Amino acid sequence: MADAALTEAQTQPGFGASFAAGLKARAWGLGSVAGGLLAWEIISRFIVGSKLFLAAPSQVVVAFFELTGSGELSKHIYISGLEFIIGYGVACILGILLGLAMAQSKAAKQALQPWVSGLYATPTVALAPLFILWFGIGIMSKVVVVAVLVIFPVIINTEAGLRTTSPQLIETVRSFGANARQIFFKVSLPSALPFIFAGFKLGIGRGLIGVVVAELFGSRAGLGQLISQSAETFNMPALFAGVTILAAAGIAMTSGFGWLERKLLPWRE
Amino acid sequence: MTDAPVKLSVDKLTKQFGSLEVLRSISAEIGRGEFVSIVGPSGCGKTTFLRIVGGLEKANSGEVRLDGRVLDGPGSDRGFVFQQDNLLPWRNILANTEIGPEIGGYRNAEQRSKTMKLLKLVGLAGFENYYPRQLSGGMRQRVNLARALAVDPDLLLMDEPFSALDAQTREIMQTELLRIWEEGRKTVLFVTHQIDEAVYLSDRVFVFARRPGRINEIVNIDLPRPRPLSMKRTPEFVAYVDHIWKLIEDDVRASVLEEHA
Repeated sequence: MADAALTEAQTQPGFGASFAAGLKARAWGLGSVAGGLLAWEIISRFIVGSKLFLAAPSQVVVAFFELTGSGELSKHIYISGLEFIIGYGVACILGILLGLAMAQSKAAKQALQPWVSGLYATPTVALAPLFILWFGIGIMSKVVVVAVLVIFPVIINTEAGLRTTSPQLIETVRSFGANARQIFFKVSLPSALPFIFAGFKLGIGRGLIGVVVAELFGSRAGLGQLISQSAETFNMPALFAGVTILAAAGIAMTSGFGWLERKLLPWRE
Repeated sequence: MTDAPVKLSVDKLTKQFGSLEVLRSISAEIGRGEFVSIVGPSGCGKTTFLRIVGGLEKANSGEVRLDGRVLDGPGSDRGFVFQQDNLLPWRNILANTEIGPEIGGYRNAEQRSKTMKLLKLVGLAGFENYYPRQLSGGMRQRVNLARALAVDPDLLLMDEPFSALDAQTREIMQTELLRIWEEGRKTVLFVTHQIDEAVYLSDRVFVFARRPGRINEIVNIDLPRPRPLSMKRTPEFVAYVDHIWKLIEDDVRASVLEEHA
C-alpha cells in the first residue's frame, strides 16, 4: 500500500514541479524572448530615446492598461474579433463546399479552377478599398475582405485532400459493398481532414491581415483603426499594444488549432 | 475435387484489357470448405481472376456463381484479403475490423463480441485500441484477415496476403492461417507467387499459364492435415513443388526475359 502511494507520488508530480520542468524544457525559447524584450527596452530608452519613434515594452504595457481601463481596447477587440469570426467562419464553410464540389465533379473543377488559382495568387488585400466602397465603412466590408483571403487555402486544401484519397482504401470498403455515400464519409472525408485542417491554419494569418488592412482603409473601430489612429497621433505605445494583441491572437488561434487537431486526429504521429 | 457440394463455380470467364487477352475461358468448381490456391507466372491473370470473383472487376463474358447465385459486383458474402493491408489509419484495430459489418448495417453488441473473438483468434486480443501505425506488418496482415472474416463470408479471397512480409514472418503466418482456417473451414481462394506456400496451404492448386491466362493444370495435394512446417522438407512435399515448378518454368522464364528486355 505504501509502495503504491509512493509510485503515484513519483509519477504524478505536483503543479509546481511540472511547471518548473516545463520552464526547463523551454529554457532557450524563453531566454530568447526575454533577451529580445530587454534589448528592445534598452534600445528604445537609451539609443532611440523618443517615444515618438519607438516605444519600449514597459511603455506598451502601460498603454495596454490605459486602453483597457478606458474600455476602448475591449471595443476594438470586439469589433475586429467579430469581423474575423464571421468572415473566417463563412470562408471555411463555403471553402469546404466549393472544394468538395471540385473534388466530386469534373465540370465544377474545370469551371472553378482558373478562378481559384488566379485569385489565390492575386494579392486580393489590395482590393480592400474597393470592398469598402461597395460594402461601406462598417463591419460588412471587413467580413468580405477576410472571407476572400481565407477561402482560397480552404478550397485548395479540401480539394487536394479529397482528391489524394488512396484508391486502395476506397477499393477495400467497396469490396464490402459500400455505396458512394459510405465511401465518402468512411474514407474520403476522414482522409482529407488533415489537409482541411492545414487550410484552416493557413487561413488564420491571412484573415488577421485582412482585418487590419481593411480597417486601415476606413473604419470606425477595430484594432486596425486603433493602429492607424495611433500612428497619426504618434502614439507609439498604443500602436504597439494593438500589434501585440494581433500577434497574440494569431499565436493563440494557431496553437488552439494544433491542440484541436491532436484531439480530433489522434491517429497521426 | 472433394465430394463436398459446389460452393463457387466459374463458367467460361474471359477478360480483356483493350486488345490484351488476360483470361481465356476459365471454368472451374470449388467445393464447400475447400482451400484452393492459384499459382502462375507474372501476367497470367491470377489476380484479375480473383478480383472478378470478388466483384472488383467485371468480366467480358462468362459467369461466376456462389451457392448457385450469379455474382454481380462486390458484396459481404465474400471477404477480400488484400496484398497491402489497406487499414484505415484513422481507425483503431477494433473499428478497422468492424468496417464490413458497419457498411452492412449490422454493427451491434452481438457483432462486437464476435469481433473480439476474431481478434483473439488472429492473436490480437488486447490490441483493439491501437492504431495501424503502431503495429508491425505481420500484425496488420492479421487485422486484414480478421476484417475479411468479420463479415462471416461464404468465400474468403486472398490476394498474395503475405508477399510483403519477410520470409520468417511469412512461414509463421502460413501456419497461423491454417490454424484459423481449421476453426471454421471457410472456402478459400488464395493467390500466390510462391509455389511452396500454395502446396503447404491447399487441397488443390490451380496452375495458371500466361498469354492468355488460363488453367494449365489442377494439382490435388494429398497431404494429411494438420500440416506442421516440417512437412515442407518431406520428399512428398518437395515432389509437388517440383511438379508445379516444371509446369510454369518456361512461362516464368519468358515473363522474366520480357521484363528485362
